[in-house]
Amino acid sequence: MNKILTQLQKIKKENRLGIMTHIVAGYPSLQKSEKLLLTMAEAGVDFIEMQIPFSDPMADGPTIMKANKVALNNKTKIKDALDLMSKLTKKIDIPLLFMGYFNTIYNYGLEKFCLDANQAGCSGLIFPDIPLDEEQQENYIEIVRKNDLIDIRLLSPASTQDRIKKNARLAKGFVYFVARKGVTGSEKSLDKSLEKNLNKIKKHLKTPIAVGFGISEKAHLNALKGKAEIAVIGSALLNQYNDKGITGVKNFLKKIG
Amino acid sequence: MKNIKNIFIKTKYDSDNLGHFGKLGGRYAPEMLIPALEELETAFNKAKKDPEFQKELMDLYENYDGRPTPLYYAKNLTKKLGGARIFIKNEGLNHTGAHKMNHSLGQALLAKRMGKKRLIAETGAGQHGLATATVAAKFGFDCTIFMGKVDYERQRPNVFWMEQLGAEVVQVLHGTQRLKDAVTATLQDWIANVDNTYYLLGSVLGPHPYPSMVRDFQTIVGLEVKQQLKENYNINQPDYIIACVGGGSNAIGIFHPFLDDKKVKLIGVEAGGKGVKKIGDHASRLQKNPKIGVVEGYKSYFIQDQDGQIQDTHSISAGLDYSGIGPQHGLLFQKNRVEYHYATDKEVIKAFKILAKQEGIIPALESSHAVAEAVKTAPKLSKNKVIVVNLSGRGEKDIFIVAKALKDKKWQSFLKTQI
Ligand SMILES: Cc1ncc(COP(=O)(O)O)c(C=O)c1O
Repeated sequence: MNKILTQLQKIKKENRLGIMTHIVAGYPSLQKSEKLLLTMAEAGVDFIEMQIPFSDPMADGPTIMKANKVALNNKTKIKDALDLMSKLTKKIDIPLLFMGYFNTIYNYGLEKFCLDANQAGCSGLIFPDIPLDEEQQENYIEIVRKNDLIDIRLLSPASTQDRIKKNARLAKGFVYFVARKGVTGSEKSLDKSLEKNLNKIKKHLKTPIAVGFGISEKAHLNALKGKAEIAVIGSALLNQYNDKGITGVKNFLKKIG
Repeated sequence: MKNIKNIFIKTKYDSDNLGHFGKLGGRYAPEMLIPALEELETAFNKAKKDPEFQKELMDLYENYDGRPTPLYYAKNLTKKLGGARIFIKNEGLNHTGAHKMNHSLGQALLAKRMGKKRLIAETGAGQHGLATATVAAKFGFDCTIFMGKVDYERQRPNVFWMEQLGAEVVQVLHGTQRLKDAVTATLQDWIANVDNTYYLLGSVLGPHPYPSMVRDFQTIVGLEVKQQLKENYNINQPDYIIACVGGGSNAIGIFHPFLDDKKVKLIGVEAGGKGVKKIGDHASRLQKNPKIGVVEGYKSYFIQDQDGQIQDTHSISAGLDYSGIGPQHGLLFQKNRVEYHYATDKEVIKAFKILAKQEGIIPALESSHAVAEAVKTAPKLSKNKVIVVNLSGRGEKDIFIVAKALKDKKWQSFLKTQI
């Protein structure tokens, strides 16, 4: 069984909110991103997204954009991200997912990428710029699943009823719900209409929901308990890391854990 | 000239319903934007069917923008080059100085119908930003323009005018600090403000429906050319049409009505910069090993490395200094319907000087690429051949760049006195 499903069962049994964190492969260096991910795993997070750096990360705010740029300046290749994945999945047991933008894996060759990602022990893919609408062109979902990976569907506060239904019908693992209109980045408070928006999509969903974008404090997690299954912490942790290094990340995860 | 009533024409090279030009184009956008793109598509399709919409647009074209723009027989240039007859479609005479006004007016009307309150746009040369700021002022929209830092600095006159028109001009510091990064920044703003904001895209790129919609609003250029050739010069069809290609809006606008007429040869001119051999020296996507990718919401040819990372570009003209090309151009390239050539910075400056001295027309550096191609092609053709050059814009905005390229001493010392 795919590790994402196992981990979801575990969270459910333990009756708690799951945590997904995020790193950019090659930021601030390959070695340091490895250390960062291991630290997160040791702190007990449930899922980790490993972003493949891209030159034009459209859905990312300043913190993660900058990390992408640094990783590329370090000459981080897709191959490096795959190698890192392979190395890390041998050391830790929680599911790791690749996050990124379609152009990188399109150029690598989608079939080959999925094959290599699976072999590296990756469990799923989060690629925001390959929507359902292009399935006929790219056979993305089909190819991803053929290689025992889970394609995480994304929904947003802007999603129409029709799009919620279409994505819900296909969703596997969990659905990634973008908490607010905007790019990634930490915020002081959660979007006011988050609960209403979550109720709107829940009606149609059989899968658990991960909520991301702007989550940065213990209070946000408390607010999500019982309303979603997973909280995604991206930029907030990266900011901690940038300001206070690995210790900052450890302390932050301890505080919210 | 009798009035053109319909700009919405069909050709063999149109996209399917999902915006695919063959295998290119499409809507590779994050979920946050797709509902907005669907809303835009619906509004556009509705407007297309509404005669009032076209009537209002034609009125603006004529009475606000100054259309039709002249199709001028460049007799001196023709004589100097000693070959084919050269005609210039002078889009530099649009209000605000470039063809960008054509699609800005069309989209502003649409934004108004959609009840949007704010316009945002990317700009390279600043001409599209200027046109957007202009229609924002006229129609009463708030307006934010995104411009890469490199372009902000080299097209400063346009920054100044945009601000005078009431727009906020934001410098984009990410990436290569050029047009593509401005597009990304505008998309990001749109994601955050999708309810009240209209993204007034400035070329035939981005996710569906932009490539088709922007093209439709530019088609007026080609339709006028067709009519002017016949009415003013008794010419049934040109032998060649030449246009510069950044994203490709001015080129597709003049090509579109001729696409199904194979006898008309179409040439798009890319920015050759310092030469097309080395990545980073140019912005020619279709010259050496064209490579397909998916960036900024659409699939087309991009200057990128093995891993799909978009690479640096260079051109003396900010408006052509772009790593991607509109998806319909990608299709026309694949189908061999349009030939894509390039002009280097040096050839461009030379062409600029020739047109200014021969015809008293100061072309934009982008448009000078098309002139450079005509300078190369015309002498090889017989005198009964007809070339139409799309002069997409006038050159005032380029005063700093041209003066620098020509090492003009008087201008340099003047600048010193101004500090
Ligand atoms: C005068 C002029 N011509 C051409 C272009 C290039 O755009 P496109 O290829 O979309 O016509 C620009 C863009 O800024 C421009 O200002």
